[in-house]
Amino acid sequence: MSAPLLEVRDVEVRFAGRRGSVARAVDGVNLEVRSGEVLALVGESGCGKTTLARTILGLQRPDAGDVRFRGEPVRYDTRALRRYRREVQMVFQDPTGALNARQTVYEAVAEGLRIQKLPGDEEQLVAAALARAGLRPPERFFARYPYEISGGQRQRVVIAGAMVLQPELLVADEPVSSLDASVRGEILQLMLGLVRDTGVAILVVTHDLGLAWNIADRVAVMYLGRIVEQGTTEELLSEPRHPYTRALLSVVPEADGREAQILAGEAPDPTRIPPGCRFHPRCPVVASGEAERLGIEARCRGEDLGLAPVPDAAAGSAHLAACHAVGAPGRVEAAEARARADEVRPGLG
Amino acid sequence: MSVTPAAAATERADEREPAAPLLSVRDLHVSYRTGAGPLPAVRGVSFDLDAGETIGLAGESGCGKSSLAGAIMRLLPRGTEVTGQVLLDGEDVLAMKPGRLRAVRWTDMAIVFQGALHTLNPVQRVGRQIGEAMELHPGEGGGRRAPERVGELLELVGLPARRAADYPHQLSGGQRQRVLIALALACDPRLLVADEPTTALDVMVQAQVLRLLRDLQSTFGLAVVFITHDLSTLAAVCRRLAVMYAGRIVEEGPSRDVFAGAAHPYTRALAAAFPVIGDPAFRMRPSGLPGDPPDPRDLPSGCPFHPRCPVVRPVCPHTAVELWDAGPERRAACVEVLADEAPG
Repeated sequence: MSAPLLEVRDVEVRFAGRRGSVARAVDGVNLEVRSGEVLALVGESGCGKTTLARTILGLQRPDAGDVRFRGEPVRYDTRALRRYRREVQMVFQDPTGALNARQTVYEAVAEGLRIQKLPGDEEQLVAAALARAGLRPPERFFARYPYEISGGQRQRVVIAGAMVLQPELLVADEPVSSLDASVRGEILQLMLGLVRDTGVAILVVTHDLGLAWNIADRVAVMYLGRIVEQGTTEELLSEPRHPYTRALLSVVPEADGREAQILAGEAPDPTRIPPGCRFHPRCPVVASGEAERLGIEARCRGEDLGLAPVPDAAAGSAHLAACHAVGAPGRVEAAEARARADEVRPGLG
Repeated sequence: MSVTPAAAATERADEREPAAPLLSVRDLHVSYRTGAGPLPAVRGVSFDLDAGETIGLAGESGCGKSSLAGAIMRLLPRGTEVTGQVLLDGEDVLAMKPGRLRAVRWTDMAIVFQGALHTLNPVQRVGRQIGEAMELHPGEGGGRRAPERVGELLELVGLPARRAADYPHQLSGGQRQRVLIALALACDPRLLVADEPTTALDVMVQAQVLRLLRDLQSTFGLAVVFITHDLSTLAAVCRRLAVMYAGRIVEEGPSRDVFAGAAHPYTRALAAAFPVIGDPAFRMRPSGLPGDPPDPRDLPSGCPFHPRCPVVRPVCPHTAVELWDAGPERRAACVEVLADEAPG
C-alpha cells in the first residue's frame, strides 16, 4: 500500500489564552488522508477542527508533531509553502467573504494561476475551471462581480479558483453551511464529481453528519483537540461507539423523533482540558452510572486515553475509538448479546 | 381555512363554532420600493395559527419568508407596500396606530432573528437590555422587580441568572441566541416569530434551542411561526408546515406528512436536501435542485417553479397554479395533485 497523501502526526497547536493560560486547540492528533478519498472531520465549534485544517494548510505551524505530504514533512519557508499550496487548496465556508467584492469572476479564478506562475493559456485554464465547477458557458461569467451572481454560483467560483491549480488535496471548511438547502446538494454533487473525475482528495471540516453520509468515505470525530473516533462512514454512522459521536448523531433533526441525547453546555474550554477522558464531564455513560456499573468510572475520571481499535468492528472498517467503555468487559458482553438478539430477529438492521 | 385546529380534524369542522385564530394572515402582499422599480417579495399569502400552535415556513433565500415575518411584525423598511391583513386576535396589525403597535409588539408578539451578535447592543450588559424591554412595556411581569424577572427569564432559557451581568461578547453564539429568546419572552408574548433562530448554531446547541422552543410552546401555550430553509428541523419541531416559493405558499399540511410524502416537487427537493443518515438512498448521493430562484421582477409564466421542475409537464408554463386540495388537511400548488386523485 502506498504512503498516504497527507499524514498528521502527533500534532499539537497551542495558543496563549487570557491571564497566562494556554489553549491546547489541537492536542495530539494523528490523521491520514489518502489520494482520492473524502474524509469528513466532524465536531462542534471550538473543538479545534478549524485550527487543525489551518495547520494542514500550512497557515499554522504545529508546536509539536508534523504534517507530511507525500511522505515529506511540510517546510515553512516561503518558497516551499508556495509550492505546497499549489497541491493543497482551501475552500472556505462563506463564499461571499472569500471573494474580493471588487474582483471579477475571471480575476478571482486567475489570481492563483498568477501567484503560482503556472504555464499554459490563462484564459483557457480559467474557462475550463469555471466550466468544471458548473458555470457554463464560462465566458458568460468572466466579467461578473460577486454581487451579480447567486450564493451557490459564488461557491462554485471559489471551488473553480481552488481547482484551477489542479491540487491533490482540497480542504473545505463547512463548504455548504451558509448555502440554501437546494444549493447544498448541488455543491456536494460537484465535490463528489471532482473526486471522481480528477482524483483530488477532500478533507471536509463540518459539524454536519448528514454531509458526511452524503459524500465522505471516512469520518473522524474531533472533541476538545483530539480525534475521539474514526472509521468508514457506514461503520461509524451506523455503529457509533464513542458516546460523543452517539450524542451528535442523536440530535440530527429527523422526522422520526428519535430520542435526542442533548449534551448540556457547549464544547468546553481548551484552556482547561479535564483530566482523564476529556469528555467525561459531559459523558452520558458516566452521568447515567453505567461507567460505574462497568467498573471503569475511576479510569474515565483519571486516565487519559488515545484511539484504540474497536474490538468487534466490521472487517475493513478501520474503526477506532477513544473510550474506556469500548472494550470494557461488560460492554463487550452486552454487544454480543445484542448481536445474538439481532440474529434471532431476521430482517432487522 | 388553510390551517385547521388540531381538534377540529377529528370532527366535522362545520359543526363547531371555530374559535378565532390567534394569528390570521390574509392575502398578504409585500412589495419593496427599489431604484429598479417595485420588487414583489410576498404575493398573496394566507394562513391561520391558533394559540399554542406552531407553524413552520420553509423556503430558500428570496422566497419571501423573512419578508412575511417582517410584515407580521410590521418591521419592514419605510415605503414598502404591504397589503392584505395580519389579524392578531382579530385586530389588523397593518392598520394599527403607532402607539397601539408599540403596545402590541413585545407584549403580544415578539420576534427572534438569526445572528444574535448583530441584534444585541455590544456595550450594554445583557440583563440591562432585557430589563429595558420590560420597562418600555410596563404592566407585564406581575409587579415583580425587573432584576428578579430578568434572572428568571435567563434561567428559563437555560442560562444562569448571573449571566445578566455579562456583555454580549462574553457569551458564545448559542448563549447569545438564548438571550435573544429571553428578550423576546420578556413581556410574555403569545406569539413568537422565529426567523432562522438556529441557523448559525452548532448541532448540539441547535438541539438545545429547539428543545427550549418546544418546551416554551407546551408550557406557556406560546404560538410560534418558525422560519428556516431546513425542512428537517421544521418537521421535527412544527405540527404544520408551509413551503414558500417565489413569494407564495406552494404546499402546506401536517409537517410529518409533508416531509415524508411531499406533493409538490419543490418540497420533495427541499426534503431530499437533508439526508436520512443510514438510508442507502442518500449514501454518496447528495441531492440538490438545479438552477436558482427566479427574479421576483421577472417571474416565469404559469407555475413559477416550472423552469427548475424535475417533472415539468407541457401545460406548466401556461397554467396558473393555486393551492389545490391534496389530501387530508393538505394543499399543494402543482398540477400533479389535480392529475393524481390520491397523492402521496
